Amino acid sequence: MRLALKHPGAALGIAFLAVVLLASFVAPLILPLDPLAQDFTATLDPPSAAHWFGTDELGRDILARVIAGARTSLTTAAGAVLIAGCIGVPIGLVAGFFGGWRDAVLMRLVDVLLALPGILFAMALIAVIGRSQMAALVAVGITGIPGFARITRAQVLALRRLDFVLAVEAMGGSASYSMFRTVLPNAWSPILVQVVILTSVAILLEAALAFLGVGIPPPAPSWGDMLRTGKQYLYEAPTYAVLPGLVLTLTILSLDTIGRTLARVLEDRQGAHLATLDEPA
Amino acid sequence: MIGFVLRRLAQMLPVLLLASLAIWAMVYAVPGSPVGALVGENATPEQIQATIARLGLDRPMLLQYWSWLHHALEGDFGLSIQNREPVVTLILQRIPATLQLGLSASAVGLALGVPVALASALRPRGWLDRMLSGWSALALGVPTFWLGILLILLFAVRLRWLPSVSAYVPVMDDPAGALRNTLLPALTLGVYVSGIFARFLRAALLGELRADYVRTARSKGLRERDVIGRHVLRNALLPFVTIVGLMTASFIGGAVVTEAVFTYPGLGRLLIQAIDARDYPLIQGCIMCILVIYIGINVLVDVLYAYIDPRIDYG
Repeated sequence: MRLALKHPGAALGIAFLAVVLLASFVAPLILPLDPLAQDFTATLDPPSAAHWFGTDELGRDILARVIAGARTSLTTAAGAVLIAGCIGVPIGLVAGFFGGWRDAVLMRLVDVLLALPGILFAMALIAVIGRSQMAALVAVGITGIPGFARITRAQVLALRRLDFVLAVEAMGGSASYSMFRTVLPNAWSPILVQVVILTSVAILLEAALAFLGVGIPPPAPSWGDMLRTGKQYLYEAPTYAVLPGLVLTLTILSLDTIGRTLARVLEDRQGAHLATLDEPA
Repeated sequence: MIGFVLRRLAQMLPVLLLASLAIWAMVYAVPGSPVGALVGENATPEQIQATIARLGLDRPMLLQYWSWLHHALEGDFGLSIQNREPVVTLILQRIPATLQLGLSASAVGLALGVPVALASALRPRGWLDRMLSGWSALALGVPTFWLGILLILLFAVRLRWLPSVSAYVPVMDDPAGALRNTLLPALTLGVYVSGIFARFLRAALLGELRADYVRTARSKGLRERDVIGRHVLRNALLPFVTIVGLMTASFIGGAVVTEAVFTYPGLGRLLIQAIDARDYPLIQGCIMCILVIYIGINVLVDVLYAYIDPRIDYG
């Protein structure tokens, strides 16, 4: 509570995300919202009491589609971050811990991934494996690998020189013991920040792919795809593209604010004992 | 100097080789035969024969890659499946449009980002700084495709000042028309990149303001305007050149989304059209071309940086 008062931005972000999560996973169970129900007598209606966000070109309720889209968007982003973390963290761990040729080879591979803007890489990959939710998830996930690898590597490099890690080594602890039981547990906090920030990037990237028409294929509702269709009816129904975009933007901003606040809080908390790290040994 | 440039290029070679291998291997990963992916399903037997002969699709894989790379280095990516035009011609047609948008977006980004960074760095943690850092977060967090739609709604649908679909009008031919058509996409991209510029330059300025020479300059009684304008800004702008170059480079290919919002005929849109049509030679050509430009600008920025900063030698 005290933290919430100190960081009102992050608190607002958490509140908004809670509403989105609640709406997307609980609301469909109690409310009569059907994102696929068509009504050709009410197409492209402006927002009203019956349809808070209006209706789309097939008379489907836009709010219901935004809520269903949240589910697609959030699960895709979560899956993508999971993939990125499960590959990126071990890469950074091994590269930072062992150094030498392992470091050179692994980080060069990461550099290749970084050499292309993420969205281009994702598009090229989807061009090969075809459009599906899995394809979007994997493509977005792979673009997140460099972020995790670099953060983990930097953290491991800093920890590696510390007395308690050297002590484990001196007492004959194996490399894997030292790596997984000593270094990794102390490297979590920046990785956690990366998880939050990357989730917002993943949501944005997934929406961008859908907007370009290479994301999750319709009729599954997705925020990016709604913006893509809404853009064709800017004159007839301006709110069609504006409202789903607003929810998307607020979600991204919420995650970004939470991530940056988290980073600052962890920095302050660790400041005392991390400050001594930077002094040359 | 020439040695430095060559060395930087040589460092980029493995990245380019690996990327080109991946781009080449693309057609083999596509379900169906690579010949089908390269010439399309409606190709005549002659066209199929010609492609097999040109790329030697019956030879060992490594040789096939070598001959593809060899042709690619000469600018020959084959023919587009859609209209049988050489891929290079299609790409070259789009480059001026992409450059015009990329450069104007960077200009907008600088015009918005530099004053924001200056204003917030001069009074760090003041109310203006807080507001402006909020602006940066907003600029980075708002998806460009949503911002673009909002701008179209305001300026094209409501006010009817600007077209909702942006064509490419060369500045040299028709400055007014070019402005009307490039303004909205450049603004959309520029707002986004101004967030990056502002954050980066603010950090650089704060770093410089703490330096000893600033205290010396102030204690000599120099006016604050001269301290900032002559010393601090100059030193802070140095690393800033790198980030401006990098962002401009990423606009060449990374403006895909903005180009889609405004149906602007740039390189990114060509790539989307190619992906839509499953036009694999065109996809390969576009990605390879974007990559080469991107890496080329990266090297150029490094060289420029070493050139303007006397502290870096070419060793």
